[in-house]
Formats: sequence, structure tokens, C-alpha cells
Amino acid sequence: MNLQHIAEQALAALRSEGADASQATVSTSALTELNITHSEPSLLRSTQSHRLSLVGIWDGRKASTDLSDLSPESLVAAARALRGDAAAAPQDTAHAVSSGQHTAITRGPMDADLTALADAAHDVLDFRAKATPTMNIEEGAASHTRADTQTLTSGGSHLQSTLGWYGVSVFGTARDPGPDGQMRTSSFHYTGGETEDLRGTPAHSRFGIADMMQELTRSVVTQGVADCFGGKFVGDVVLTPSAVATLLGWLQGQVGDMALISGSSMYRDKVGEVVASPLLNLASRFDAPGIAAVSGDGFVTPPLQLLQAGRLQALTPSLYGSRKTGLAHVPTASGGWELAAGTTPLVDIVRGVPRGAVVGRLSMGNPAANGDFSGIIKNSFAIDGGVVGTALSETMINGNVAQMLRDVVAVSTERIDTGGWCMPWVRVSGLHFS
Amino acid sequence: MPQSVTTATAATDYLETRRHELRKMRMLMVDGNLTTNLRSTEAGISARAHHGGYWGFSALPGAASQDQVAKVVQQARSNAQAMGRFGSRSTLALPGESYVGQHSFKGKAELTAAECNERLQALHSFCKRRYPDVRSTRFLLSDEHHSKWLTTSRGGDSLSSIQRGLCYITLMSNADDGSPIELSHPLSWKGSAADGDLSPEHLAPQIDQLYQHLQAKRHAVPARGGMQTVVLAPALAGMLAHEAMGHPCEGDIVLGGAVTSGLVGQRVASDLVSMVDIAHTWAGEEALMPVYVDDEGTPARDAVLIDKGILSGFMHSRETAERLGQAPTGSARAYAPGDEPLVRMRNTVILPGTSKLQDMIAGVEDGYLLAKTGNGQADSTTEFMFSVTLAYEIKNGKLGSAIRDTTVSGSAIKVLQSVDAVSDDMHWEGGGYCGKKQVMVVAMGGPALRTRAHMGGQ
Repeated sequence: MNLQHIAEQALAALRSEGADASQATVSTSALTELNITHSEPSLLRSTQSHRLSLVGIWDGRKASTDLSDLSPESLVAAARALRGDAAAAPQDTAHAVSSGQHTAITRGPMDADLTALADAAHDVLDFRAKATPTMNIEEGAASHTRADTQTLTSGGSHLQSTLGWYGVSVFGTARDPGPDGQMRTSSFHYTGGETEDLRGTPAHSRFGIADMMQELTRSVVTQGVADCFGGKFVGDVVLTPSAVATLLGWLQGQVGDMALISGSSMYRDKVGEVVASPLLNLASRFDAPGIAAVSGDGFVTPPLQLLQAGRLQALTPSLYGSRKTGLAHVPTASGGWELAAGTTPLVDIVRGVPRGAVVGRLSMGNPAANGDFSGIIKNSFAIDGGVVGTALSETMINGNVAQMLRDVVAVSTERIDTGGWCMPWVRVSGLHFS
Repeated sequence: MPQSVTTATAATDYLETRRHELRKMRMLMVDGNLTTNLRSTEAGISARAHHGGYWGFSALPGAASQDQVAKVVQQARSNAQAMGRFGSRSTLALPGESYVGQHSFKGKAELTAAECNERLQALHSFCKRRYPDVRSTRFLLSDEHHSKWLTTSRGGDSLSSIQRGLCYITLMSNADDGSPIELSHPLSWKGSAADGDLSPEHLAPQIDQLYQHLQAKRHAVPARGGMQTVVLAPALAGMLAHEAMGHPCEGDIVLGGAVTSGLVGQRVASDLVSMVDIAHTWAGEEALMPVYVDDEGTPARDAVLIDKGILSGFMHSRETAERLGQAPTGSARAYAPGDEPLVRMRNTVILPGTSKLQDMIAGVEDGYLLAKTGNGQADSTTEFMFSVTLAYEIKNGKLGSAIRDTTVSGSAIKVLQSVDAVSDDMHWEGGGYCGKKQVMVVAMGGPALRTRAHMGGQ
């Protein structure tokens, strides 16, 4: 399948429909995935998919469509339908497509190595059997993905990427009789990540998988906050890397299109100001496994420093968001972020917490528009006098996400790298536990 | 669909092929700006084979030509055989009957993009005119249509379809302290966007109410954290049914070690509580997500999960039914053309009781009415969390101040065991996605419940 040819045909079809500006993205993906279910190998999958995404703008009116039928007849019909859809849309001078953008990215293993996938599955299952036998892998996977993408725009942009990567993921619970002999179940937990090379490091040693599985086996017997601490209190949390990623995801939403256009962003006028702890340095890694350094609206995405010593360096509106709000356009890729390691070993961070918890996962709804949140801490362990103790259950923390970013008081030297993100542990002070 | 390819052979113990079309429309209007105007079509053919205790799955995009069908069947068989490298396993019998028949929803002709835009513009203009102090409006209009042609080596041969439309209305304002506040109202229905009445005249009472709640949130006070008496409005009871007890009653989650696995026949709720995952029909009417046949060709039937407080059963695919020694319920569903069927909920409800909501509120001396939720998550332990986007204090049986966005949580078993009143009304909701490896369109419903739960707050 010649993706560039299909994209060119699609642009030609839109041109012949009189589009003022247009974009065509053709992508194909092939997935080979070995699944584990209930701690046993269960299924081998081979799937292919392809998609054409079209954007057309006529007189400031825009419409878009995705289709899986890539035949010439389908392209012509889609272009015609798109014109009809756009005619119905309100005029908006902010609509535009990229111009003059060029890149060609080829990275990673292009073909699935089934033996490597089977070895990875074997390794995780062997580790479970030997080190964490009470943990049940409810779902696990070792996979290879190959993704080819071509984007052309009427402004002369041509962005192409050919990526191959492996992934390993584990999701499960532990089940074990407690001291009283009564069977108990832990909360579920999961982790996983992407890599361009499965060789060398055992699968269970990647992406925090072994730590996660071991922590599950220690979290079958739990206590509530009343039993551990005698009731409500104000204390500190040590967020694990995946919880840090959740925290920073909120910040990224606040500096993106939806919050900026609707006016709800708390950071609209904060570029150049300190919005977070000076310990926080957040930067892109748009060359992470499975990530192409291009944005969905057809721009090359150069490296980006979002936080420098807690100071906000940029907002990240898309081209549309930029033209809508008057803010500078800062394109970002679909993922790939890292928080710089700090200077405090994790063990010292924990030692410094008088009362609080190591938080593996935050289960909560979207924080309120002003950043207020309350959520259940999952896969979490009490810290009392600098010592990690019992797993916690039915424990809530309450605070404000923006304030949490400011209240980071320590960042660990250690980090977990899942490919899409690389994060340390961070200690945040002043959370309300109940 | 060529029948011959779905015959089990020496190379397979079971085989199914599915041709699946998925069409979606999504339009998002923010302050009158149409920021999303998207239509998508996805079609593909998949095959799943079972051999020697292992599964093989394969999927290709596009229309299902004879060649493509043969290719995915061959690949699925080959994948199942390749799993033999992990050693021999006993073959599953995969119990259950096979369905032959067709079901599709006959709704109105679909709306054009122009008609969708007109409806959104009308709603936006209505809100701007009627509520001049509202800072921002957001309207999401979406629909999706699934059509699945399934044949199985057990003689299953079916066409089934799911169609659902939804509209989310969101108003945003500023609280007294200047911070932004917002509130959403979800609408969902069976069929396409055309089958929902989106006229401002029809929706005015609901949007007026949304606006009044938003005004109340401007002066909201923080919730008191800790165990509280709460009245869960029907919208939250449906979420409780789905998230907190529904997931732990899915056969694969049970096999994974969910706390429910050892509780069948035991009391897990007050005897006022009965909970059912409805296949397709409730109270004589077709449910929002009617499933007559699942994606393994099993005839779908209701799964009674809790009967008057006693845990009664689980939802099953053929495989989980066999492993747990129960009957399949027709709950194996695949979301997209490239997905294999997993155990999923369909229309999960807590059944109505006999109390009146006003009486339930009047009976609370000090507590909260939890009126709207944004999302929820649950755990294998039945511990759940729902975000609460609208709630009011109850003092001496009367509603007081609105409270700020918060979270409610607890062990579903403890919360359901504490239920002392169930209202006689029923609220259905079918606009969300359930996430579990794949997303899935599901419906949920319930009456109001009065119970004790843990509120987030200081």
C-alpha cells in the first residue's frame, strides 16, 4: 500500500471539491500481541488496521472525517461528503492547516520477533511464579506494533513516520489469606511501557513491573486511616512515578486547547511565572518509543521545556487554539515527557515523612476547574515516622492540584522509564487525609 | 458471510468470524465555535479460533471479501496453534446455545452535519440569551452505530446492531471567589442524533435546572470529609451498579480473584437491593443497549447479580462460564472491528423500591444529597470512587447549600448493606464508555438510594 499516493489522491479529491485548505493523513498499523490471562498464556493476536483522516476547509468552514475504505471511489465520495459537512459548519477564521513542514522519521524494529514476545511472556510468568505467587496476572501482554503514517497538507507539508516498538504490560491483583485465615483480595494495579529493544533487560525488570507485582502481594492486608493514624490528619504523600504522571497530566490539560479556548485555564497569563516547586523540571521526549515528533495538526514538534525550575515556559495551543486565542502556537506530539531526576534518594524522601503515605495510584474524577480534588489513594502504604507500614484502604486525600505542584518538597534521584514518560518519585506536603 | 469458513476443523475446536462496521459522528461546539466536526467509518473482518486450549485472533480492515475472510481464518488458526509453544492445555468445551437471527434498531433518518450544527447553534443561542451571566457553553453531540454479522462453528448466524446518541450540555461560570465552576447535563438515547429531541423548547426545563444548580455552586461550601449519610440520586445509583458491583461480577474479573468470587449465596447488600444486568428488555421495553446475541453467538439473557441482597450470579462468556461451572449469559462483547469479545456489562441496574425521594431526603438529619457524577472507578475489592459534581447539604430533612466538587467512596458491599431506602423511580443513562482493555458502550440505571458512604473533604 503506497500511503503517500493515497494521501496525494485524497488531497487531489479535496482540491477538486474546491477546498481552500486541506490535510490528509494515512496510517497503517500492524499489531502482534501475545496475551496472558489469569497468569497463563491465552491468546495470540495479529491485527492490521488502516485509516485515512481528512480535514477540509472551505471559506473558513471546516469538517473532518476518518475512514477505513481507502479505494479511489471512497476518497472521492468522502471529499464530496466532507464539503457538505463543512458547508453546515459556522465560519471560523481560526481554521487553517500547516504549511512548509517536513520530516521523515524511521525508528525501531519493523518486524515482530515472536520468540522475543514469547520470552517476555515467559519471563513475567516465571517471575510471578517464583517471586509473587499470590499475585494473579489478570491481563498481561507482550506486543509489537508497527505504525506507518503519512501526512500531506495543501500548504505543502509532508510528514512521514515509520515506527516499530515493543510493549509489555501487566495488570492484576493479589489474593491471600490474612493472619486470620480469611481470603482477601488486594486492589488491582497495572503498569507497562514501550521499548525499541526487548533484549538484555528481563521483561519483569522493565517499567516498574517487578516492583508493582511485589507491592501487590504486600497490599492484601490493609488498614483504614483511622486504624493507622487514629483518624483524619494533614500529612505528606510520596507519589510514585505513575501518580506523578497523573498529576502532570492535569497541568498539560491546563495549558492545552480546551482550557485555553474556554478560558478556564489557570495558567493563561502565567508564562514566565513560577507555578510549581523549583524542584520541577518538565521536558518533552518526543523521540520516545512509539512516538513521532509531529503534532496531530501537521507540525514538526521540536523539543519543549514546559517547566524550568517550576517556572512555566510555554502554553501549548494547537494551530487552531493559537489562532483562536492569540497565543503563540506551540506544537506537541501525542506523548513523550520526562520530569528531571532530583537529588534525594527515595529512601531518604520516605525517611523524612513524619505522617503520610506512599501513593501508587490516585483514583479520582477530573479535578474541579480551580484544581480542587479529592480522591482515593490506591496501591498505597502508610508512612509513620519515616517508615513504610501497612497498605491503606478506603483512604482519601483532599487538596488542590495547582497547590500540590507548588508544594513538592523533594524529587527522587531514581526514576521509572516507561517510554512514554520517565518520572521520579516526588514528595508533596500538606494533603488532607480522611 | 461464507458459512464454510466457520466450520471447525482438525486445526480448531471452535471458530467464529465477525464482520463489523462502526460509524461515529462527533460535533463539539465551544462558545458557538464548532471545534470538532468529525465523522468516521471503520469496517473490518475478524476471526477467533480456539485450539488445544489456546486462542488465536486475527483482524483485517475493509470490506469482508472471500479472500480476506479466508486470510483472517487462516491466521487465527495459525496463531492458536503457535501458542502450543507454551505447552499442552486441556481444550475448553465452551458451553452455550447458538443464536440465529437479526436485530437492528429502526430509527429516524440520520441528521446531516448541517442539521446537527443547527441544533447546536440553537442550543448555544438559547443559553446565551437566557443566561447572560454564563461565561461559557459547551455542547457535545455524538452518535455511534455498530453492526455485527457473526457466524460461528456452532451454527451461530446473526446480525446485531447497537445505536446510541448522546448530547452533553455544559455551562461554565465563576464562583464567588472568582474561580471557574462548571456543570454538565448528559442526555442519551437509543438511535442516532436524529432520534433525540434537542430543541431548546424541549430541553428548556432541564437546562433551566442545570443553570439553577450552577448558580447554587457559585456559593458552594466544602464537604465535610469522612463517613456521612448520603442520598444517592438515581444517576449515582446507576454508576454504583455498574462500577462498584458490576465489574466485580464479570466472570473474568471473578476468575482474576475479585472479592465476589467467594461470596455467591451470601448477603452483600440490604434486602432492599436487587441488581440485574439486563440483556435487552426491561419492564416490557427494549433497553438502551439491547443485546440479543453476544459476539460469541450466545443468546443473551439477564444476569441476576444480587437478589434481595444476596449475591446470586455473574456475567459470563462461554469460557468464563465453563471455568466457573455456570451458564453463559451472552455477555461477550467486542467494541471495534479489531477487538476480540470480552465479558462486558450491557444494561446494569439496581431495581426500584417503594420509597419516595422526598421522603428519603426528609429522613436525613445531617447528610448530603449527591445529585450528579462525572465519572467513577471501581476495584476488585468493590471499593469504588465517584466524582461528585453536584451535591447539596441536608440539614434536618431539608436541602441546604451546594457543596464544592468532591468524591464519594466506599466498599460497595458495605455501602449496599447500609441501604435503608430505595426510591420508586428509575433513571437510565447510556452516554458513557466503560473502559476495560477495550472501551464499550453500556447503559446503567437505578433509583435513589439512602446509605452511608465516605465523602472527600477536610
